[in-house]
Amino acid sequence: MAKTTRKCWLTFEGVCKDQPCVWKMSRQFPQVQFDIRQASVGQKIGIMAIQFDGEEAEVTAAVEFLKSMGVRIDPVEGGSLVET
Amino acid sequence: MSYVACLRCKECGAEYPITPRTVCDHDFGPVEVAYDYAAMQGKVTRTSIEAGPRSLWRYKDLLPIEGEPKVGLHSGYTPLVKADRLARELGVRELYIKDDSTNYPTFSYKDRVVSVALTKAMEFGFDTVGCASTGNLAHSVAAHAAKAGLRTVVLVPEDLEEGKIVGSRVFGPLLVKIKGNYDDVNRLCSQIADKYPWAIVNVNLRPFYTEGAKTHGFEIAEQMGWQLPKHTVVPVAGGTILPKVWKAYRELIELGLVEDNGPRIHAAQAAGCNPVVKAIAEGEEIFQPQKPNTIAKSIAIGNPADGYYVIKVVTESGGAGESATDPEILAAIGLLARTEGIFTEPAGGTTLACAIKLIQSGRIPRDEPVCVCITGNGLKTIEVMTGQFESSPVIAPRLGEFEQMLAKLDENGASGAHARLATSKVI
Repeated sequence: MAKTTRKCWLTFEGVCKDQPCVWKMSRQFPQVQFDIRQASVGQKIGIMAIQFDGEEAEVTAAVEFLKSMGVRIDPVEGGSLVET
Repeated sequence: MSYVACLRCKECGAEYPITPRTVCDHDFGPVEVAYDYAAMQGKVTRTSIEAGPRSLWRYKDLLPIEGEPKVGLHSGYTPLVKADRLARELGVRELYIKDDSTNYPTFSYKDRVVSVALTKAMEFGFDTVGCASTGNLAHSVAAHAAKAGLRTVVLVPEDLEEGKIVGSRVFGPLLVKIKGNYDDVNRLCSQIADKYPWAIVNVNLRPFYTEGAKTHGFEIAEQMGWQLPKHTVVPVAGGTILPKVWKAYRELIELGLVEDNGPRIHAAQAAGCNPVVKAIAEGEEIFQPQKPNTIAKSIAIGNPADGYYVIKVVTESGGAGESATDPEILAAIGLLARTEGIFTEPAGGTTLACAIKLIQSGRIPRDEPVCVCITGNGLKTIEVMTGQFESSPVIAPRLGEFEQMLAKLDENGASGAHARLATSKVI
């Protein structure tokens, strides 16, 4: 199985903001390593920079799990950059 | 000689060599170009800048290039208009319009950032450049790349209007329509930049690209006679230009080229897409992304990449945020055109409308100098003004009919130029 590293920005707002989404993800996918590099939490929204490491299929499933909880996921490398 | 020191993380300060890097390895924060200001002292002066070309490259020492500029030799150095008629209308003492609607060659401030990005792309050895965009950025990348002989890839959402596509296609890029929205296009661009040796200006060249926006601020200061306006009102889309105007002001202060008069930077957004202004109003450091719904499409970015830094600069400088509704934006476009002869796109209308609201609410005092940043040209978005005017009179080519028409205008109490014509004395 191929190993992968994925760097993402996680945005928590709405219902998911008050849930332990990352903890739940870690319980569901114990083989996926996650490293929190930066985080900031406001009253209505929180953001977190995370690096995921693990088997590609596992990491993809972990990211999809977070999405299913309402967490917005943006890749670190330019994915959230929008210019018109 | 270049004064570029390194790339530095805006969050943790980690330093990296000059390569096409966008984020810090440690905390994924964005990196930006850092300079050796100590080495510039006494060498980068008002005189040395004034001796430079009448383009943005007169500030070359404060830009991240190593050799001579290769692209955009005629970009920048746009007019700073002392807007006396508009100032009278608004009841302010001193008002300036920094008019990038005249920027060369594609009539928006993007010609600044693209000039720097493509020069840097060529220094890095890229032969293919690109961007994800729907308007001004695509036009500018395509035009500059055509002049430089670079291969160009422009990615746009599939449902983009044909008119906007033509504005890029004419320069001969490979234009690819992507089945998806802007976010999807940008994500794909990110993957392309990772896999192909291409310079995607607003992705893997972003630290260099954004530095070009500083020249807007440098020019304001120089054209005001090496002074800073007390208030600068700047539109916010992706959040590139506002923090860079601030950086420009800070650099000029650091070098002793202008006095620190406590300049305040104000953010302008459309009410239909105002994540940053909303966060400022609520005292939040982080904005909530929005789904845009406004006629100001060129600044309709619901999740601005540098929004966090816009909030930081506005707060740090003691500025404010304001937003304008679509009718307010259209009214401001008309007002700027009628008073100063400048036709701006809705982004410019937004900035002026917000400036008016900041003045009316007292957040910009009427006796302090104000500069409003106009970043794009109205001729690109004529459709938004359609239906804003009464029909023009149609008459036979006879003087009698012309005079009847004037008399009728007078009777009907027509407003504006028509009324002035009708009541003017015939010599």
